[in-house]
Amino acid sequence: MGNVPWIVLFVGMIFQADWIGTGTPDPLRPWLPPFQLTEEMKKVLEEINSVNAYQVPQIPPKRVAVYAYTPVDVVPFRHVEPQRRFFLDQMEYWGAGRAKPEPEDIKTVKIGFIGPLIPTVSVAVGGQSHNEERMGIKMLQGAKLAIEEANERGGYWRRGIPFELVIRNDNGLWGSTGNEVIDLAYREKVWAILGSIDGANTHILIRVGLKIELPMMSSGDTDPTYIETNIPWAFRCISDDRQMAYLLVDYLYRKLDLKRVAILRSSNRYGRFGVREVVDGSRRMGRPIVVEMAYPVGCHDFSIQLERIRQSKADAVVHWGNPDDGARALNQMRAMGMNQPFFACDRCLAPEFVEIAGPNAEGVICASPWNPDREDPILLAFKERFRARFNEDPETYAAHAYDGMNMLLWAIQVAGLNRAKIRDVLAYRPDPFVGVTGPIPLSAVNDDDGEVYLAKFIGGKWHYYSRAELGLPPREALIRPALEQTAARQSAEAAGR
Amino acid sequence: MNWLRLARLLVIGLVVMLPGVSFAGGSPSPAGAKEAEVSEPTGDQPPAVSAAVPLPYVYTEWRHFTTEDGLPDDHIFAVKVDGPRVWIGTENGLACYDKRTGQMRVWKEEDGLPWRVITAIDVDKRTGDVWLGLFGGGLARFSGGRFEHFHQLNSGLVNDVVYGVAVENDHVWAATTAGASRLNLKTGQWTIFTEKNAPMEEIWNYAVHYRDGKVHLAVWGSGVLEFDVATERWQVYLDPDREMEIDLYRDDGIIHVITTGANYVDGILWVSSYFGLSRYDGRHWRGFYAHETGMPSDFTNSLAARSGQECYFAHDKGLGVVAHFDSDTYVSYTRDPKTLRGKAAVFRGGRKLLELDLERTIPHNFCISASVDETDVWVGTSKGVGWGIGKGYYAGVRENPEWLVEYNRRSQAQQLSAAVVPQATATE
Repeated sequence: MGNVPWIVLFVGMIFQADWIGTGTPDPLRPWLPPFQLTEEMKKVLEEINSVNAYQVPQIPPKRVAVYAYTPVDVVPFRHVEPQRRFFLDQMEYWGAGRAKPEPEDIKTVKIGFIGPLIPTVSVAVGGQSHNEERMGIKMLQGAKLAIEEANERGGYWRRGIPFELVIRNDNGLWGSTGNEVIDLAYREKVWAILGSIDGANTHILIRVGLKIELPMMSSGDTDPTYIETNIPWAFRCISDDRQMAYLLVDYLYRKLDLKRVAILRSSNRYGRFGVREVVDGSRRMGRPIVVEMAYPVGCHDFSIQLERIRQSKADAVVHWGNPDDGARALNQMRAMGMNQPFFACDRCLAPEFVEIAGPNAEGVICASPWNPDREDPILLAFKERFRARFNEDPETYAAHAYDGMNMLLWAIQVAGLNRAKIRDVLAYRPDPFVGVTGPIPLSAVNDDDGEVYLAKFIGGKWHYYSRAELGLPPREALIRPALEQTAARQSAEAAGR
Repeated sequence: MNWLRLARLLVIGLVVMLPGVSFAGGSPSPAGAKEAEVSEPTGDQPPAVSAAVPLPYVYTEWRHFTTEDGLPDDHIFAVKVDGPRVWIGTENGLACYDKRTGQMRVWKEEDGLPWRVITAIDVDKRTGDVWLGLFGGGLARFSGGRFEHFHQLNSGLVNDVVYGVAVENDHVWAATTAGASRLNLKTGQWTIFTEKNAPMEEIWNYAVHYRDGKVHLAVWGSGVLEFDVATERWQVYLDPDREMEIDLYRDDGIIHVITTGANYVDGILWVSSYFGLSRYDGRHWRGFYAHETGMPSDFTNSLAARSGQECYFAHDKGLGVVAHFDSDTYVSYTRDPKTLRGKAAVFRGGRKLLELDLERTIPHNFCISASVDETDVWVGTSKGVGWGIGKGYYAGVRENPEWLVEYNRRSQAQQLSAAVVPQATATE
């Protein structure tokens, strides 16, 4: 029996050229071995495996002309050509990490998980660390299911050893996430980490990841600045607040032609950064936000904020915060006789929002990073498996964590046990990873560039609408003028040379 | 035109016609010592330069240190020159190299080092105490052969993930992932600086530096914070356009708020970031990008300023130097990944003046840390430490410098034996 891993390794070597793993492929879980590498991916892998400690794979980096599909009319300072544009070229890793050999003495392949699972109460900081445990537990469910399914299919195919999820609570106190990452990296020796949801903690995570050289996948943090740090080790498999804000702003102004929009947001990083593109986009489209009011997380009385919004004569309210806060604010708004349309962030798609808001939820529109109602066999099969495992439907955080973990598992199966190579295959994969949340095309900064949606609560159910279904111009059309400007500028520069 | 000038031009003519050879570290070896100057470059070839062109000092002699030379690990996070001693913080232990004896001493966890990963080092000049920033392990004082450990649970250190450490008079500052901490060495009192009592838009401190009465914190997402020790007042330097995805106007402030290092020397503030570099003289800002200066990259892990004119930047693709600010002169040190030979290139005004093929420069292109003294430079990289030996070092720029003469002399000697023409020249 002791020879089994070596036999697996030998068989693996025979098939390495084309196939990862052996057996029968599962078309509803194409990320699980066995799967065939595309010709392009094979070339990427060959190049990655050909370099020594001093070399860098010669793989053409991704290059985009417009960052994050920013519509031309919400580009910052759009009438001025900036001195420098960032995030257009793919980040590279130039370190020596690719030369580290795969260790021989491991019994499991460890992957770290950091998420808000249990809130802690600290006298020092005067209260509860967070109230994001509902989302964190969903995230954990998705990650666990991915690990369990990978292990059912033989685990790490090169050695025939199982994957192991090393779980850490992100309690949000005093930067404790940083200590957890250190522990995961140096004591547990994980190969990658999935996490987290809170923007501040996730930033701490990737700062440490950069130093340690450890791939980090975020499946729940929608803070746009997460990937705007230029860290080649940071990945995200969920569309961010920037993308969702662009769609929302388009809908508010291009579709509904609203004139006076107010913002009600949580007084934390999520609220502050979440609405930034709504605020900027509104101003740039000539409809500046009439008032932006912040409330403390866990607030039960929004009368000060709502009274100010009422005085502003807003004709719509955009809320960015947790679902319970959002629902309580909505209820109080309606009780005050404020009947403006209520728009919200994706967190308010949670059942908690509807439960608390009750009939007031009718007509609410939320941004959404995905469409969970797609008639996609991969998604439908996932829902069945998830229900069988957890006796409930998967929601946003579970589904994205499932995809994020599967992306990491796929990368480990392809690259082997080398953190730099795991990073490489994720970054240089030529085609989008197709998960249960849909295709996940990574941008030059390793961010999910996929389509986002608006969801409207009608008749006791959320209904999801794509940009096309909302009657809005496609993203490609909105960035076309910027593409043309860039092409003209490049052509003028070339002529000048 | 005098005879000397004529002879000089003759030499240049010969050099331009013949392929180059260069040397480094005292042993000539065949390769291409390329000329430079003010004519337009062709392809990758630099234009020709005359010996009369003032050039900065270029380190042509380097030594490398890896685990084979006694280092505890090749992944170097911190390096700090302290007179003849060079302290080296690695991913798995502390080392001290003595330039006088050539001996390397090592401390690991089994030797009392509180945590294996060292990300920052500073030395108290008065006591000789060595302060270590431990990545996930807090702070340590190495004094008299003994390590004293400070961490979240036994001190006022705000977080155990320490990125930077600096000794300021009777205080020690630590830049951590959740704010900055200051220890008063006289009273033992700790002060914590976060968004609650300092103008930190974010609390992710990345580096701290003290000089001439000012503490500078480089904070991810919060630019640079300057703390005046005498007045205890803060000054904040942010990117004026406040946008992450662009740098709007040239030289309007720091290039980006995600900063990684700040050094204050001669009244000049140098700033590094993952997006480019900045310099502030108290009145004017100046930004530096790789595509304009010739430096290896914009992605910069840290910096070490020698003066208001000269600063060394640890990039992901090599070591970049603003060698002489006033004359817009830069030097780039890289290592050829195929031949593993070193390369040094001098740029001015965006043009490559000179390129030297050297036996070695930096040990690896991924530079993480740097430290300078009066003459030498030390570079911590992804694979070892490099020591640039500043024999005949001078500040500023000079015509026909000694290092170039020596380079050409040795190259010529090499060439004679190899029957290939060496030399680099400089003219204007």
